[in-house]
Amino acid sequence: MTDTTYHLPPQISFSQKLKNSLFATPFDFFLTLICAALFALLLYWFIDWAFISSIWRAEDEPLCKEASGACWSVIDARHRIIFFGLFPFEEHWRSTVACVVMIATIVASCVPWFWTAIRLSALWLIGFSIFYILMHGGVFGLSVITPERWGGLALTIFIFAAVSIIGMPLSIVLALGRRSKLPVIAKLFGLFIDFFRSLPLLTILFTAAVITPFVLPGWLQGDKLYRVIFGFALFFAAYQAENIRAGLQAIPLGQDEAGLTLGLKYWHRVSRIQLPQAFRNSLPSIVNQFVITFKETSIVTIVGFFEILASGSAAFGTGKWTVHYIEVYVFIGAIYFIFVFSLSRYGAYLERKLRVGHV
Amino acid sequence: MSETVDNQGVQAVTMTNVNKWFDDFHVLKDINLQVADGEKVVVCGPSGSGKSTLIRCICKLEDHQKGTINVLGTELNDKVANIDEIRREVGMVFQQFNLFPHMTVLENCTLALTLVRKKSRKEAEAIAMQFLEKVRIPEQSVKYPGELSGGQQQRVAIARSLCMNPKILLFDEPTSALDPEMISEVLDVMVTLAEEGMTMVCVTHEMGFARRVADRVIFMDEGEIVEQNTPQEFFDNPTNERTQLFLSQILQH
Ligand SMILES: Nc1ncnc2c1ncn2[C@@H]1O[C@H](COP(=O)(O)OP(=O)(O)OP(=O)(O)O)[C@@H](O)[C@H]1O
Ligand SMILES: [Mg+2]
Repeated sequence: MTDTTYHLPPQISFSQKLKNSLFATPFDFFLTLICAALFALLLYWFIDWAFISSIWRAEDEPLCKEASGACWSVIDARHRIIFFGLFPFEEHWRSTVACVVMIATIVASCVPWFWTAIRLSALWLIGFSIFYILMHGGVFGLSVITPERWGGLALTIFIFAAVSIIGMPLSIVLALGRRSKLPVIAKLFGLFIDFFRSLPLLTILFTAAVITPFVLPGWLQGDKLYRVIFGFALFFAAYQAENIRAGLQAIPLGQDEAGLTLGLKYWHRVSRIQLPQAFRNSLPSIVNQFVITFKETSIVTIVGFFEILASGSAAFGTGKWTVHYIEVYVFIGAIYFIFVFSLSRYGAYLERKLRVGHV
Repeated sequence: MSETVDNQGVQAVTMTNVNKWFDDFHVLKDINLQVADGEKVVVCGPSGSGKSTLIRCICKLEDHQKGTINVLGTELNDKVANIDEIRREVGMVFQQFNLFPHMTVLENCTLALTLVRKKSRKEAEAIAMQFLEKVRIPEQSVKYPGELSGGQQQRVAIARSLCMNPKILLFDEPTSALDPEMISEVLDVMVTLAEEGMTMVCVTHEMGFARRVADRVIFMDEGEIVEQNTPQEFFDNPTNERTQLFLSQILQH
């Protein structure tokens, strides 16, 4: 036992590392001290502003003028607008349950057990249907609430989920199409992908919202929201297709040949051999595309939808609340942060796990 | 489908005047080759002579442009049914193993059993374990290919092919990606298969193996079969001067 320790690399203690990297020279020492002091000061200010000197309840709003901290009264009073937009007040429970179901669906699809084509599609179809039925109503005695009245966090989640559920399968089809052995097909898919990648998202959404009604026959138009989501999904799919294609490209040719000699059909080679490896290969960029998409949902404000950011403006838009816009933006920022930060931490976790070799 | 004569008289593989080009590069030139049922053929020759292309044509990983290839009485053409039929009977072992890295050893073996042979998972696993035992590696069944040595991976690849119960096994330099100390564990498995009567076409430069199991050694150069003979005659009295040159080169090492 004793002589094996001889072969181990010399152990450096944590405090030693800290000392080496932060306090090596007097100048480093000085810099470290200044940065630490600045950071502590900022942290103190923020904590004092957000938690200590702040006012919390809606009815305490008159105290806000005297208080030096945040006036969270605006959130207490107006959070329903931020979460639900113009959704009818007495039906807010539907929106709440719908969001919880959808978030649960997103979380569940992060669990490896669900990572087969069948389980994943079943999970999303069920989750999304429940979300849609709750939001839209018209069945099970639920009153109909049309998409114009959806808003806030619920709308943001709806757009994100709908874009993902349409965009993901589409991106797989596009990526496979672009790698087709038939040059005509490959060119066509390539053209389609590059076309949507070359347009700004804003142009696509604007076209979908405003211009298509003039072009498409009435029965094909659908609701404005659906057109916008469809345009968004095309944009998402074009980018995601390129991520997936990069992952496919990295797979050695021998993998497909092994599948061929075992007698596997095209669809089985794609679904069991190629796609699983492609997703592993380009996982960071695939997760990244989801993160970007979640943040970009805020752009639908421009074509007249009240997603969470626009609903936030409405929340501080009236009367005595107009001065408290900072609190509202901090609150919405925190919501975005929770979503995006957990998504990217999850991505980092997956990468580590896949590097070890297996899932 | 072509005529299915009773299997006694049928050659395992018959290649008649097979020609193949990569663009305008003539890789295979008028190849005529018969492999009888149960026969073991070793193919050797210098790099770039078309050995891999030859055996890849037999399982349609490459298309030939002229001539006919007949495998166990089925003509190899563009008919999907014929290709499927032939791939059912022909297994292939690659130089780079080509195991599926995202699946365990056991899953590598059961994949085609469940998807192509429509076995239940339990049946498939029983069959897979049987062949993993045959290649002497059953204890590794829950590991991933990346956790195995090269020799172990190649034995898994052989087991994976055997699971499909092939009548003919093709090997493309199965030991040339291996460290020297792992070569014999793979060759041992191949010798066992040969002794059990498997029809084998094997591209290899392992001359000890060729002497021990081959019924016939084929020498290829520049897309042609230059010489073929029994191992004794081939190694001890090569007639063609290109063969002599090649043998003198590989025996130096
Ligand atoms: N897909 C391809 N496209 C064009 N040329 C090819 C292709 N595959 C092989 N070739 C060429 O065909 C010739 C024969 O290749 P092949 O792989 O059959 O040789 P080999 O005898 O197996 O050689 P090695 O011992 O190096 O494996 C080589 O000159 C090679 O460059
Ligand atoms: Mg070769």
